[in-house]
Formats: sequence, C-alpha cells, structure tokens
Amino acid sequence: MFDIALVRFLPSNTNIKFISLRWVAMILSVIGIIASIFLFSTKNLNYGLDFKGGTVWEFHLDQDPTNADLDAFRQLGPELGLGELAIQTIAQPGDKAQAIRLSVPKQDALEGDENDDKAQQVALESVKAAVIKLYPEVDKLENTLSVQVLGTKVSGELKRKGAMAVILALLMVLLYIWIRFEWQFGLGAVVALAHDVILTIGVFSLTALEFNLSIVAAILTIVGYSLNDTVIVYDRIRENLRKYKKKPLGDVLNLSINDTLSRTIMTSVTTLLALTALYIWGGPGLNGFAFAMIWGVFVGTYSSVFVASPILLALGVNRGGVPK
Amino acid sequence: MLHFSRWKITLILGAIMLGLLFALPNVLPQKVRDGLPGFLPSQTLNLGLDLQGGAHLLLEVDLKDGLDKTLKSELAGLRAALREERISAAMRNRDEAIFVTFKNAADAETGAPILRKQSVPVDANAIGGGGKTLIIQKLNDLHYRVTVSNEFIEYISNRTIAQSIQVLRKRIDPTGTTEMTLAKEGKERILLQVPGAKDVGEIKDRIRQTAKLGFHEVVRVDPVIMDLCVNENRCPLASIAYPQKDGSGYLMVKDREIVTGADLKSASEGLHPTNSYPIVNFRYNARGAKKFCDFTATHVGEPFAVVLDGEIITAPNINTAICGGSGFIEGSFTMESARELSLLLNAGALPAKLNIAEERTVGPELGADSIAAGKIASIIGLIGVGIFMWMIYGLRFGTFANIALATNIVLIAGALSLMGATLTLPGIAGIILTIGMAVDANVLIFERIREETRNGRGPINAIDTGYRLSLAPILDANITTLIAALTLYFVGSGPIRGFAVTLSIGIVMSVFTAIVVARLMTSTWLRRARPKTLPI
Repeated sequence: MFDIALVRFLPSNTNIKFISLRWVAMILSVIGIIASIFLFSTKNLNYGLDFKGGTVWEFHLDQDPTNADLDAFRQLGPELGLGELAIQTIAQPGDKAQAIRLSVPKQDALEGDENDDKAQQVALESVKAAVIKLYPEVDKLENTLSVQVLGTKVSGELKRKGAMAVILALLMVLLYIWIRFEWQFGLGAVVALAHDVILTIGVFSLTALEFNLSIVAAILTIVGYSLNDTVIVYDRIRENLRKYKKKPLGDVLNLSINDTLSRTIMTSVTTLLALTALYIWGGPGLNGFAFAMIWGVFVGTYSSVFVASPILLALGVNRGGVPK
Repeated sequence: MLHFSRWKITLILGAIMLGLLFALPNVLPQKVRDGLPGFLPSQTLNLGLDLQGGAHLLLEVDLKDGLDKTLKSELAGLRAALREERISAAMRNRDEAIFVTFKNAADAETGAPILRKQSVPVDANAIGGGGKTLIIQKLNDLHYRVTVSNEFIEYISNRTIAQSIQVLRKRIDPTGTTEMTLAKEGKERILLQVPGAKDVGEIKDRIRQTAKLGFHEVVRVDPVIMDLCVNENRCPLASIAYPQKDGSGYLMVKDREIVTGADLKSASEGLHPTNSYPIVNFRYNARGAKKFCDFTATHVGEPFAVVLDGEIITAPNINTAICGGSGFIEGSFTMESARELSLLLNAGALPAKLNIAEERTVGPELGADSIAAGKIASIIGLIGVGIFMWMIYGLRFGTFANIALATNIVLIAGALSLMGATLTLPGIAGIILTIGMAVDANVLIFERIREETRNGRGPINAIDTGYRLSLAPILDANITTLIAALTLYFVGSGPIRGFAVTLSIGIVMSVFTAIVVARLMTSTWLRRARPKTLPI
C-alpha cells in the first residue's frame, strides 16, 4: 500500500545552467537595488507608529460607520488643532461592527516640556473626548480595541534599535560563515543578504505599506531564511569541490545548485503554504508581516541561486592549486 | 547513523513524553487543570498583553527634578555647616552646580575643609567605601565649585525609581489583588503592565498626579507684589504664589510647609459634618500632629492653605488651635474625587514626576480575535504542509516527516509552558512560520536519500548516507537562522521578543525532531520491514 505514486515536481536530474544566467540576474538585481535606493531616498517608507510616534486608536461604533461618520471624525483634526487625522476602517471578524482606526500625527512638545511625551497624551485625551461627545457609545470599555501612543524618544529608540538589529545580525552571520567556510563564502552570503534586505525595503517603499516593528522582525527572518538557503547550496559546493577536483568552478557551482534545487523548491513551497495561511487567515495584525515574509521567500531563494553563488565565481575559491 | 541503543531510545521517548506533559495543560479546560494532582504540571502558556488584553505603559521618571532637589538640599547643608563656624560666603546654584564665594582668604582657608567634610560616602553600607557624594573643585583662592558626583546621581536615581515603584504599586493596586508588573526598565524608566480589561484612564490619572500635599501659612501681600511674583517671577523671600482651585486667583504662601503629606498617617473620604459635602478626612502622625497644633495655636484667626501639586484646594481660617491629630479638607470634591485623593494620599507622594513615554492598550476583544485567527491560520498551515509532504514523499516518509512536525509543535508548546515564556501575536507568527520551515531538515534528508538511491545505493546504505551527509548543512543552516533570531531577541523589544522566542525554540526543536525523532522512526521501520526498495 505504500507504493503509491509520488508526485514529482521536477525531473530527477535537473541540469539548468544557472551560472550562465548570472549576467541577466546581475542586471536585474542591480536595477532592483538602484530602484530600491532611489525609492527609499525619494519616497522614504510609510513608517508606522512604532517609528514615527503619535497616536493610533482603534475603536468601533455600535453599527458600521457611514461615510458621514468618517467625515465627522476627519474634521476633528483641524477643529482640535491636531493636524490631519488619518481615518481607516478595518473589517472585524464575527458580527461586530467595522472598526475605525484613527491616527493622530505626532504632536510637538508642549510649551515648557522637554520632550513631547505629554503632548501625545493630551492629544489622545482631546480626540477621545470629542469622539465620545459625538458618539457616546464609544465610551464603553469593550468598544475600544486598542490604543497606542508613542513620543519621539521611544519611537526614535525603536528605529535605532531596529536598524542596529539588522546590521548586527548581518555581521554575526558573516563571522559564522567565515569561520565555517572561507571568507569568499562569508562575503557572498552577506552580499546576498544585503541584496534581500534592500529589495524588501524597496518593496515597502514602492507599495507604501506600513513599515513597523514586525516588518523589522520579518526582515531579520528573511535574513535567516535566505541564509538557510545559501548555506545549503554552499555546503553542497564545498562537498562537490572536494569530490570533483578537476571540474571548473562554474560547473561545480551549477552542479551544486541543481543538486539542491528540489530541496530549495520544496522548502519554499512548504514555507509559502504556511505563510499564505497566515496572510489570509492570520488576522489584520499579522498581514504586513506575512506579506514581507512571502516576498522574502522569493527574494531569498533567488538570491542564494543567482547572487550568492555567482559571487564565488567572481571572487574565486581556494582549491589547493587547481585552476578555476 | 541508524543504530539507536536502548537507553537512547528511552531518553528520546522520555523527552517527547515530557514535552507532551508540559504542553497538555494548554488544551485541558480550566476545571480539569484545577483537579490535577500537584506533581503534574498545570502551567499554561502566558499570553502577552496583545493577546489577553491589557495596558502596557512605559513611564519615564523625571530624574532632573530629583537632582534639582538634591542640589537644593545640599546647598542648604553647606550653608548651615559654614554658618555654624561663622564663616561668611555667598552661594549660588547655577548650571547644576553650587558656586561658593568666600569673603576673604582666611574664611576660605577654614571654610574649604568644611565643604569637603560635607562630602560623605554615597552608601554608608557599601563595602569598600564606594564613592563620595560631592565633588569640590577649587576655582581660585576664593571661589569653589561643588557638584554632585556621578555615583551620588546614580544612587539618587535608583532610589527615586524604587520609591516611585513602591508608591505606584500602592496607588494602582491598593488592595494588593491586581495581577500586574511594575519593574525598572533601563536607566530611567518604569514598565507597568496591567493585564485584563481595565479602565486605563483611571490608571493614567493615578500615575500623572504627584500628590504632593502641603499645608502652608498664608502671607497677605499687596496686589502689586502679587502681580510681580505671578507674572515676572519676582517673589518675596521664601514665599511663593499658587493658583486657587476654585478659580479665584492666586494666594501668596510661605515656601516651607507647616506639615506635608509625609506627616499624614491615613486619609479617607467622608461627608462634611454640617453641610454633607464630600470631604477628605485625615489623621496626622505624632510629629505632624504636634507641628500642626503648635502652628494653629499661634495663628488663630489667620488662614492657612492646603496645596496639592501646586494648586491651592482650600484656604480655611483657623478658628481655634487644632490639636486632635486629625482634620479634614473640603474643596468642592465629588465623592469620586474625594476617594481618589484619599487613595493618593495614603499611597504617598511620588518622589519625581512621571511621564508616559509609551502606551499600548489592547482590549480583550481584539486579543481574542487575534488568538482565534492565529489558531485557524496554524491549523490550515499544518494541514497544507502535511498534505504536501505526503504528496511528495509518499505515505511512509511523509508520515515520518509529519509526525516529526506534530512532535515539533507539541515540543514548542511544552517548552514555552515550561519556560514560562510569553506568547505574543508576533509569537504566533513565529509558530506558523516554523510550521513551514520545520520540515526543511526532513526535506533535506529525504532529498539526499533519493539522490543516494539514484546513485545506486541500497535502502539501508542510502538512508544511512543520507542522514550522515545532511547533518552538517542542517546544523549550519539552522545555526545561522538561530543567530538572526537571537539577535532579534537581544535587540528587539516587547512583543517582537515573543517572535524571537518561538522562532528560536522552533528552530532547535525542528533539528531535534528531524535528525533524532524522524531518524528513530526510519531506523525502526528499516529493521522491521527490511525493504528491498525505498518508497521515496
């Protein structure tokens, strides 16, 4: 009964000439990186509350809000002197009313205050009072979904820490690969990772999706995932370099990528399966994270084949006197 | 690679059983859990505030305030010490330092050692002495500069934060029944976490008020002088003007309190004996009672002011000496505000101002929705990955991989419960991601086994080689991912740490389940079935 037909995604012995595609890949990657850097420096990122500061309040009314309701909320910003309020509706599961997400931009420090922490709290208070005056039902405890308030100091710290985490992770990884392999491998892996990080930031700049702490977590996970792929390919390259001492390096790279190709694809598929479930059913709180990770699986897989390996060809590998 | 000794098998099965045992309470209903005998674990996963709802407040302690106060009291101390020796010197408090100018060389000569004597060890109990409180610098023959040493600043900061935490605990949880976290965070912050549905507004009100209470002597002054003091900050010596709560303008009072909130023994809300308005009753301690008795005895017919956080709440006239050690404050209270004020007075004043630097409140409804969504996504993810593994590797090896995956999830839940770790919303994402990535190690091994089979090896040989050659890449790949996850843990904050925790545990467990649990199953099957070909 166990001899059922097994599904084969790929023929058993693939022999795709990945390495000869390296120039095409390089052009693509360079265009992508330049576009990302350009987008980041002109459009920047749509920073979420974590990095921008300000107030986000999510609540719902007893019924779904009408456009008139939303306009009324929008008008509160100029009325209270708080600047433009961003109003969004969020679908709520179950039979509950649609939630309203009200964002107050970060306020300047009050007169006589050293930092702007208090100003944010004052802003929240005045918005809350105004909304409750319009819709008394909002005062009910169960109608508030969440409140988040951050001043400049904490949001600045989170931004610095986030950037530090990504850079630190790249350095540690470089160190580990350097110890386990040779320096060329370490450099190749880190270039591939930097490539993934830059492209992910580029996509977030392009789509203007909210960039918050969980996206930083996603980027670090992408680093981990992409590295996972790269290390598997590298490991096979190392093994094949020992096995085929006379084969040109390009052929060894090609062979190794093909050897590990089915594994690369299988793992990408299972990870994408789980992430798609997370994206569709995981709730609004994890949507951005799931999106970033799905993108990361594609970029990470691409980079280990088309970035990390060709770099070895460019840098050369020490093969004990065998010409490359 | 395929031989397992008997004790090794016992150990592996034992570890899995243990994981199961610790994970089990999470799926049992509360009633069954309560009925478990004591030797069985009944600990469930801690849910983060983003999942169970609650308030997370990061409070910044205004330490500058405390430093100013310290400088002032040190200045008073220096002045008193010099006066005792009849040395005249001018002193000024500027740029966080005290500048002392002696009148002549002789005074400077005797005065300098007295200044130095005022610098005492920061912590009298510290072994090895520790640092001194003050740094005294000689600028020139007559001028000295006194600053507070870093050790002393740190000591004051720590003390201020510890006292603040104490006061906050009494204020927010006067009955000692609320489950909450109050802890120092970093150098100048306090983290307050209150789980469950709470009125955050009330909590915030209790944090914001310093509740510094003082009874002051009222000074009657000319309106011109009052105007100078209020608008140009040029006040008469040792006096200060405070606004009145009822909006009837300012009153000038003596800087020094007759008695302070610290002299109170207890406070409670009540009703005025004649007009039944809400009031706050209070009792003095012995010292406070004596001071207030002495003062009222000599100031009959004059008013005194009750000042709370820089505002005069009432300024009644003294009709007779008040020596009973108790009294009440009236001041247009409602029953609610009278209760709040007595609670604050009982808890004591905060040693420094607190600012809310970060607030994240999640209603219980949103948390419950997030958990439900996470459960659905995990189950669908698990089913999807499970079916895929069966499709690709057949019933035999697919089942091995899927049992390993299920074991992995159980072990993650067990480890999280055992460690008392907190499951957050990003943590759920970490688990779902692990579901997708955990099969990687098995995929690697199975692909290698297929490859070795194609290369003409027999089943046992192929499986043995497959496991042997996969070990290094599995370890390398997972250690690097672990490095990224750990970096996130140490640099990240709050809920993100929950993600790092579940991801890290997931990585470690996936390696264990693939290269130990699945290998045990494979080897047991190989020995029993002795297959001629591999169904892979």
